[in-house]
Amino acid sequence: MPIPTLTQSVVITLIQCLLVVIFVFVVVPLTVFAERKVLGHIQQRLGSTRVASGHIGVTGWMNRGMWKWGRIPILSYWRGIPGLVADVLKLILKEDIIPAKADKFVFFIAPAISMVSAVVVFAAISFVPGTFFTFPTWFPYLGGLPVSGGIADINVGLLWILGVASVGVYGIVLAGWASNSKYPLLGGLRSAAQMVSYEVPLAMSLLAPVVLTGSLNFGDMSARMATGLPAWGLAPQILGFLIYLTCGFAETNRLPFDMPEAENELVAGFHTEYSGMKFGFFYLAEYINMTVVSALAAGFFLGGPWLLPFGLQGLLNPYLPSLLSWFGQPHAIFFVAKIIFLLFTYIWVRGTIPRYRYDQVMSVAWKYLIPMALFNLLLAALVRCFAV
Amino acid sequence: MEHLLETIGRNLFAIFGVMALGSAAFMVASRSAVHSVLGFLFTMLCIAGCFLALEAEFLGMAQILVYAGGIVVLFLFVVMLVEMSKKSGAQVFQLQSRYAVAAVLIGAALFVGVFRKVIFGAASAEALVLRPGLAQGLDVAKQNAQAVSRGLFADYLLPFEILSVILLVALVGAVVLAKTERV
Repeated sequence: MPIPTLTQSVVITLIQCLLVVIFVFVVVPLTVFAERKVLGHIQQRLGSTRVASGHIGVTGWMNRGMWKWGRIPILSYWRGIPGLVADVLKLILKEDIIPAKADKFVFFIAPAISMVSAVVVFAAISFVPGTFFTFPTWFPYLGGLPVSGGIADINVGLLWILGVASVGVYGIVLAGWASNSKYPLLGGLRSAAQMVSYEVPLAMSLLAPVVLTGSLNFGDMSARMATGLPAWGLAPQILGFLIYLTCGFAETNRLPFDMPEAENELVAGFHTEYSGMKFGFFYLAEYINMTVVSALAAGFFLGGPWLLPFGLQGLLNPYLPSLLSWFGQPHAIFFVAKIIFLLFTYIWVRGTIPRYRYDQVMSVAWKYLIPMALFNLLLAALVRCFAV
Repeated sequence: MEHLLETIGRNLFAIFGVMALGSAAFMVASRSAVHSVLGFLFTMLCIAGCFLALEAEFLGMAQILVYAGGIVVLFLFVVMLVEMSKKSGAQVFQLQSRYAVAAVLIGAALFVGVFRKVIFGAASAEALVLRPGLAQGLDVAKQNAQAVSRGLFADYLLPFEILSVILLVALVGAVVLAKTERV
């Protein structure tokens, strides 16, 4: 296997970054669309159908054909997808208003901080252990070189993820302050308190995998959580997953914990004064953060690139018949499927559970989640002490 | 290209250091308290970059996690609540008293006294390892989280615990100071 020179490895890293950006910009709009549709069906309506390619394109042609044939077109479910294009165009083309009394510099930089800290987390996430693919030999400049499954194989990857994610709170707080208006300020203050509180149980629930695996590297941790734990490891994994997911909902400001925007209390919270692509950045950052939280939950608790969650893969692998050995191997597609399922869970919960009151949000974090996370840590330590 | 990248890679510490100093100067000079906090945040991130350039990954990440993610958020919170903008510029930027200047000078002298070997001694490419026995069997460049934790939880356990008690005292003191009388 050839060893890449410095320039080649930089180019490979840039290609990996590009792949991650493509992944994000494919997943995010589809999540937005799925949110409209799934929420619609949860509330017994159709979701977005208005901007539809009813008479143009392949789906439009097939739809018309099915109507003529006398059937209800299945594909009409996809009406509304062109609305995504309209949305993006609206965000880009809309007038970008900056309030007269706003702090221009901070107002400008707040969405950037949100967006950057959301995307940069992906550096430490490895989608598949080892090599993702190898460039074919005819490829110019990079022929025969391997591309690893994660951008940076940092040995303290978990700390990188937590640290960069905690920088994301500045975007919201500064946006609230810089708008120089009372609802955004309230939203910003609320979000600072909420995100700082929920970071504690979130980090504690992630400590259980650290204790169980004895590593801080994302790839190592997901590999050992998926395949290297005894049966007793199931209990701290399942409990930890539930705690982590709850905290993740709060960290990304999603319902039932969407205190920073809470439409019927604070107009639109911290981004009330934002418009155009600056608002678009907040919108994107929220969905990218959802993807990140889903990716971490999938990587640490749901078995990452292995098929079965909660370490069941390691327990069942010895009994796997050789015919099905493909299912015993790690594949990036399993990882992505789990991320998509968790994104669906986000929407599902949003449609099911009403918003908590502010004091309830705080008491959930400090009175219930932190003690539960500590108990889970104790369980993990016991498993580590006696069973591993 | 190759040469350029290598030069950048070798001088990452200097690059991050200059950026840290620049943003620290911005923090001191800026008239708006929130801009100062932003400068402080950027300084902390650049210092984390310095740690990374020295291959101290754990310290760099802890810097981001604790300072950039925790402490500066509290600074920002306080600044937003207190609203420094009500005071005019001259009040905020007054000269300090003679005692404060003397205290700073004594502090600087103590700092130089303690770290004179590091500052004036011969530069060496070897990593500064206080007790080589601690890192035995560890590849410090790859496992510096383990090396740091051995130091903290095995060799320097008592000072570490005393430090946490001191922090607790400060915390309780803050609660007592902030508590208002309830009728």
